[in-house]
Amino acid sequence: MIAPPPPPALLMTPQERRRWLLSTWRYAVPMLVSLLLLLLMVMPVPLSVPAMPQLGLMAVLAWALLQPSLMPPWLAFCIGGFADLLFGLPLGVNATAFALITGLMRLMAPLFGRSGLMVDWLMLCLLLLLFAGLVGPLMALAGRPVPLLPLLLQWLTSILSWPLVARFCAAIQRRLAASAPSWRAG
Amino acid sequence: MDWTPAPRRPTAIRRQQNLALLSAVVSGGVVAGGLILLLLARVNPDTAAGLRRTTADLVAPTWAVLRAPVDGLAALAEGIGDYFGAIDRARHLETELDTANARLRAARAGMEELRRLKALMRVRSPQREVVATARIAAATTGTVVRTAMLAVGTSDGVGEAMPVIGAEGLIGRTTEVGRNAARVLLITDPLSRVPVIVERTGQVGLAAGRNQPTLQLIDLSGATIPLVTGDRVVTSGDGGVYPPGVPVATVVDARAAAPVLRPAARLLGAGFVTVETAWLPVPATEPQGPVFDAPVPVEARRRGAPTPRLRDADAPPISNGTGG
Repeated sequence: MIAPPPPPALLMTPQERRRWLLSTWRYAVPMLVSLLLLLLMVMPVPLSVPAMPQLGLMAVLAWALLQPSLMPPWLAFCIGGFADLLFGLPLGVNATAFALITGLMRLMAPLFGRSGLMVDWLMLCLLLLLFAGLVGPLMALAGRPVPLLPLLLQWLTSILSWPLVARFCAAIQRRLAASAPSWRAG
Repeated sequence: MDWTPAPRRPTAIRRQQNLALLSAVVSGGVVAGGLILLLLARVNPDTAAGLRRTTADLVAPTWAVLRAPVDGLAALAEGIGDYFGAIDRARHLETELDTANARLRAARAGMEELRRLKALMRVRSPQREVVATARIAAATTGTVVRTAMLAVGTSDGVGEAMPVIGAEGLIGRTTEVGRNAARVLLITDPLSRVPVIVERTGQVGLAAGRNQPTLQLIDLSGATIPLVTGDRVVTSGDGGVYPPGVPVATVVDARAAAPVLRPAARLLGAGFVTVETAWLPVPATEPQGPVFDAPVPVEARRRGAPTPRLRDADAPPISNGTGG
């Protein structure tokens, strides 16, 4: 719980209301972290192979797992739209794929966290593979078919970097939860 | 996994159920909207070009600043690496310089002769002109496209379809240009086609990107001389964007059906790149001459349909060939 739901507005004292307004940025943290990792993806690394992992998508998935109410599929759609603009893709490719994968993650969320980390990782690999398989047809729908092999390479680097991204998001969640304000005084 | 506690009051439960339903409906709606956007992009690839330009304008300068310390570290590491093995390198370079000087002396006479012949034949060749010099500020190294961003834009005189050339060879061309940022389509992008000529054999072809470190030489035409590994491929100047003679790549696998090339320049290396004016002006794509409102088929005209009206009143009347 990184941003507790507020008490009914009419029952708030002015002081409580002020504290609530000053802490609304907490609701935007999952989105901001995802956007930050997207910006990190366009870092000018002198790599000749397309090997930059899908940091933005993985952040979205991690938040869909940790804070489902703060990362609904429509928000993933907006983040994917920003990714399209950032990477110069036809608007809608990443947006649609992000939204679909996040919706799927939402359905699969009860399966996570039960059978150990390796099973979680395996399920995530399948989700990312589905994303890689989804981007090809979506690009073809936009009239720009792409070769599939580089997408698979990116999938490999992505699954290798998932633990890092998941730990990063979980650390942020822990830190925010520790400092979450409570509305009732005393 | 979800840390938010489930609500216990009935009103709160109902509120959460309603919100979940609303969220599901909105999510389905945006996915459908995304598919419609893709169809729009298929019909008109310039959809959202303005938005993309704005994003590039915002992001490119940020990375241009942020990358400075990284560049400093890279330069430091390179300096340390240079320190070792400097003597070997110097000897190697001296021998190379001697051979190059000898070749230059031989070439100078040829150059002079070529200049005289060109003057004699009244050959007019356009000049290359550098518009701006910049570092690559940001790049997509992982998605389905291979583009880079430069922190120069229309305010520096950069326009669309201008060649971007590095110290070692061709980098790409500009595609979308904002006020302070330009997007560069790298030659390894699947959309990139560079008209090239093989230096040794004189065959012309296209160097096509495929989102991999290497390029492919396609549509090769000319004398059927087999290529060998190490053949240099330079731009031919066809198409009007890239100036002729810029190194593009070397052949690394000549036996494949489409020879495989390795780019001459490190595309995203830390070096500076120059943006030049397009080699030849892009030909006008607007239709010249009279334009009819709507085409009238010959069959209909034979049956007495009125001739199509001219949209441009100033255009000279043309005799329509009745009777086909």
